[in-house]
Amino acid sequence: MAPDPRPDQRSEVLQGTLEMLALKLLAAEPMHGWGLSLELRRISGDVFDVNQGSLYPALQKMLRRRWIRAEWRATENNRRARYYSITREGRKQLEAEIADWERTSGAVNRVLRYALQGG
Amino acid sequence: MAWYHETLSALGALFGRARQEREMDEEMAFHIEMETRRLVESGLGAGEARRRAMSTFGGVARHKDEVRDERGTSWLRDGWSDVRFAMRSLRRRPGFTSVAVVTLALGIGATTALFGVVKQVLLTPLPYRSPESLVMVWSAWKGFDQTWLSYDEWEGWRARVRAFADIGLFSEGSANFDGDEPERVRMALVQANVFPILGVQPIIGRNFTAQEDTPNGPRVVILGYRLWQRRFGGDPSVVGRDVRISGEATTVVGVMPADFRLPMDFGADGRTEAWFPMATDAAQNGALPGPEFPRGGASHGYHAVARLAPGMTAADANAQLRSLVAELEQWGYMANVGFHAYTVPLEEQITGRVRPVLLVVFGAVGLVLLIACANVAGLLLVRGEARRRELAVRVALGAGSGRLQRLLLTESAVLVAAGGALGIALAWGGVRLVRAAAPASLPRVADSTIDGEVLIFALVAAFVAALMAGMLPALHTARLAPAGELKEGGRGSTSGAARLRWRQALVVAEVALAVVLVTAAGLMIRSVRNLLAIDSGFDAGHVLTMRISTPSAFYPDSVSVAGFWDELQRRVAAVPGVEAVGAVRLLPLATEMGDWGLQVEGYTPPPNQGTPGDWQVVTPGYFEAMSLDMIEGRRFDARDDMGGTLAMIVNRTFVQQYIGARHALGTQVRINGSDSTAAYTIVGVVDDVHHDALVGKVKPEFYVTLAQFARAPGSTRRSMSLVVRSDGDPDALVGPVRSAVRAIDPRLPISEVRTMRDIVNTSIGGPRFAMQALGIFGVLALALSAIGIFGIVSQVVASRAHEFGVRAALGATPGELLRLSLRAGVKQAAVGLAVGIVAALLATRVLSSLLQGVTATDPVTFVAVVAVTGLVAVAASVGPARRGARTDPARVLGSS
Repeated sequence: MAPDPRPDQRSEVLQGTLEMLALKLLAAEPMHGWGLSLELRRISGDVFDVNQGSLYPALQKMLRRRWIRAEWRATENNRRARYYSITREGRKQLEAEIADWERTSGAVNRVLRYALQGG
Repeated sequence: MAWYHETLSALGALFGRARQEREMDEEMAFHIEMETRRLVESGLGAGEARRRAMSTFGGVARHKDEVRDERGTSWLRDGWSDVRFAMRSLRRRPGFTSVAVVTLALGIGATTALFGVVKQVLLTPLPYRSPESLVMVWSAWKGFDQTWLSYDEWEGWRARVRAFADIGLFSEGSANFDGDEPERVRMALVQANVFPILGVQPIIGRNFTAQEDTPNGPRVVILGYRLWQRRFGGDPSVVGRDVRISGEATTVVGVMPADFRLPMDFGADGRTEAWFPMATDAAQNGALPGPEFPRGGASHGYHAVARLAPGMTAADANAQLRSLVAELEQWGYMANVGFHAYTVPLEEQITGRVRPVLLVVFGAVGLVLLIACANVAGLLLVRGEARRRELAVRVALGAGSGRLQRLLLTESAVLVAAGGALGIALAWGGVRLVRAAAPASLPRVADSTIDGEVLIFALVAAFVAALMAGMLPALHTARLAPAGELKEGGRGSTSGAARLRWRQALVVAEVALAVVLVTAAGLMIRSVRNLLAIDSGFDAGHVLTMRISTPSAFYPDSVSVAGFWDELQRRVAAVPGVEAVGAVRLLPLATEMGDWGLQVEGYTPPPNQGTPGDWQVVTPGYFEAMSLDMIEGRRFDARDDMGGTLAMIVNRTFVQQYIGARHALGTQVRINGSDSTAAYTIVGVVDDVHHDALVGKVKPEFYVTLAQFARAPGSTRRSMSLVVRSDGDPDALVGPVRSAVRAIDPRLPISEVRTMRDIVNTSIGGPRFAMQALGIFGVLALALSAIGIFGIVSQVVASRAHEFGVRAALGATPGELLRLSLRAGVKQAAVGLAVGIVAALLATRVLSSLLQGVTATDPVTFVAVVAVTGLVAVAASVGPARRGARTDPARVLGSS
């Protein structure tokens, strides 16, 4: 594995976006917290550095809202870990957030395009 | 549904806390282990990998905190652990804790007690139905700003003032309840419509009927609740029974509620406890029947209370009275004396005089609370100072700064809770003290209690105090930067300068507020001294008084009454310790006096004006017992008995107004209503006695003896006050004098046993109450400021120990060091003093109405305040400053 990029080249995941990304990953398969953090970093091409300080509280919050649930299971290496999986409510929330995201980013893109043409 | 899940989760989290903690630890351990392994695989050394893995997590403690925060119970659990933590750390500093708690308790306690009084007096509605539409109705003319109504006026206003729904008369007196334990009771005569006008019903029995309220109607009485409890054991069957009152069988028809009083019973020293029908008519009053008015004047002797008609105001009633009076004066009723009639809303009548006193005192106590809060804030700041390292370590270990602020706020909340609890206890005692100490002339004050609403006020006051005292220190911590803090090292450094400035500002504010209070107290003390210095015309020291009545059932004629008084005075004079004894119709400063029409030889009053004189009936010993000063002529003596030549003594004002430069002695004076042959001869002139009030003009007054008054105008005074001058403590004479009365006639009730000094003090109850309260609060404020100054000098001395050490090493003398440290406290005090003087100049104006003989900007008071405050500031600074002066350079410098 390549050495970590220098920290200041990474951006912090936006608070709201972190929940959406985590839900998206959990929608594919149940994962433990560490796996989730690894996956987030990998998929984003190391752009997103998920501060563990934000990930676990976010998971805790989503648990409380019943978007995800947690259970203790053995890993493939036979270690005990806490696995999170998405609930029905979580899927609904994910869809809502994706729709919201697309609306917002679409709007931002249109503004940028307009600004570039106009400028 | 979200709230439901959140609540469940929060509850679950709370109860399954241990399990949750374990799971959290395990999850984190797993994460760190996996991350470490990943880093090792990527080529790092094991130690470095672990360090890196940990660091991606941030402070483990903070991380856990944040996860907990997300779980939603942290506020509860943190709150509780903060409380326990605060209590632990407060216990470790008993000195700080007790000063802070006592300071807060004094502030909260005093404020709460005063609120209890203010609520009772100013906020609790009067015990009548719709009290806002009740008014007292008064007459006034030259020399009489507020006097009673005549019967004609009552009839006229009742028929012709549309603003009144109804108006009723009452007057006060006293009655003897006979029996084994005879008792003299203050009573009132009321018209049958008075209780309905007030909107108060008897709790048992009924009101008077119209038939009972006619001349020679049946003898009936309505009892006051306390009298009913006291004399009849609260027995309801007393209604309908006959009881003997002043020797006559009288039927009890009702009992009034416990809180019932007539409007004039508030503020009087003793309330009426039995009510009889007035049972009078125009003929008995020498008045014209119906709403007709005579030409000339009339006798004014009735209180009147009216209920306003719906939609009418007191101003409407006053306007209607004005036009009616204008019309009557044209016609010739009370012409040329500046006669007018007016109403005063009942609430204003009862609490109008006490309101400014109470508001001033309540404002003062608010300042005390402010000072207390500033003081505790200052103490917390110092404490925060001492704990900065501790707190910085906590931040470095990962405690959130929000959490720290909460910790500090909790600490002040715990302090305030303790202070508040102690304060409520103090308030309870304070209200009892006020009830006991409040003069009867302050209406309703004696009914003050601590009830639910007052407790709520105490809680609000405590909450505000917690915020005020805790906010500043908490805000400070928000700016705590651990790196800087820890770098500064163990030595007290100058970086606390900003914090010190805050403390200094607090001390300046405290001193300024204290100056305002002390100035107010000083003005009141001067003012009360001035009141007491007014020459009342008599000597109140060592004089005991009591009221004794001789009912006609036992003493049928004036000869027997005079005989009783002669015998009583002879016996009392023989009691050891008695210097002089006499008796008088009305004691000065105890009861206002009305006047009697006279004809003075050689004096012709202006048209339509009489020659009124306040009338005083005495026994010869009265002048000596009260130490009245004779200007010329003689006092009364044994000559002036029933058979002697009619002799009169008049006061200085009488001579000035009616006699002028002529010879007063020997002038003939006739009392209207006397036999045409009965003229009094003036045998003496006595100096003026302030009868109605210490301040205000003295009216012409004349004195005649009890024995001769029975001849002209020919009425027997049945109620007199015994006046006994003692050579020592007048209270010691109460027992012997009572025995003397009993020895002559055990049936006679004794009432109103008071010293003349008490009577004088009661007459200036408002200013005295303000003086005492402001005095207490002023001392309190000074003491609290002294603590503040003490604290700040201690802090300065401690923080500059190093500098002082250097100075000492370079040859500074202890005297120079002392001056240097003193300056720290005295400077703040001086600034506070300056600010306070300016504030006091503005604030003491509200006292103007209470002041007598001093202005609100009295220079003497202000100079005294500067001196006292300066002394306190220096005294508070000296202790810690001397510690600074003794700084041992070897020790201080050696330790660095």
